[in-house]
Amino acid sequence: MTGKTIKVLYFAQVAELTRQREENWTIDAPISAAEWLSRLEVRYPQLAPVARLKLAINQHHAPHDSVIHPGDEVAVFEPVTGG
Amino acid sequence: MGIVQENTAAMVTVQEHDFDAAALTAQLRDDTAGKAGAIVTFIGYVRDYAPDAPTHTLFLEHYPGMCEREITQLCETAKQRWDILDCKVVHRVGELHHKEQIVYVGVASAHRGQAFRAAEFIIDTLKTRAPFWKRETLSSGKQFWVQQRESDARKTASWADPATLEDAASTASNTGATADAGNATS
Repeated sequence: MTGKTIKVLYFAQVAELTRQREENWTIDAPISAAEWLSRLEVRYPQLAPVARLKLAINQHHAPHDSVIHPGDEVAVFEPVTGG
Repeated sequence: MGIVQENTAAMVTVQEHDFDAAALTAQLRDDTAGKAGAIVTFIGYVRDYAPDAPTHTLFLEHYPGMCEREITQLCETAKQRWDILDCKVVHRVGELHHKEQIVYVGVASAHRGQAFRAAEFIIDTLKTRAPFWKRETLSSGKQFWVQQRESDARKTASWADPATLEDAASTASNTGATADAGNATS
């Protein structure tokens, strides 16, 4: 991961809705997860409402008040259903 | 899909192929022999989505890396919180058929109460922390992603709140070792 990109991963329902599993995004500066999610909704209106979606930053669960930094791996998914 | 040679030594394994629960428990027993007075095991199975909605297959997707790390963290938390000797978790992914095994949790402890509590903690919290997603295909052909249940979120929350720990713990000790295995998908 270089420069001002983040690696974005989509799983399960979210991957189906975006028709993507992985893509790189450019971010100019650190951004709150909530703000980034609103950008995600602009790009993929079919994901609305994004407030329900969960995030992981660098493979750790991240609440929506977390900060995303350039170079991060950000995963987007519905609440998990294992077990 | 047949059972292949089990890597019974690992604490946490995510795999496509079926697991040999008896071999996993035997390994846990060997590893803790003489110290463990109890081993509690939980096995979750693919069951019908609902009595009037029989399941054909269940597809499980996961987030490799994060998934194993989250489950390992839950096991480490269980070791810190209860007096347990060892634990083992195997979780399957990919396409699973009706009645197949999904998940194994085994916990060894000197005393049963600690093992029951730790095992219930691990499976309860796994359901809301470990990044797995289930997609049902019913016998009717209908296909959909399973939604997380509010009751699962409440169970996880109850383990985080010390005020309700005793309630959760007493519930745990009333639960059979492999009882209510349908919990895996309930």
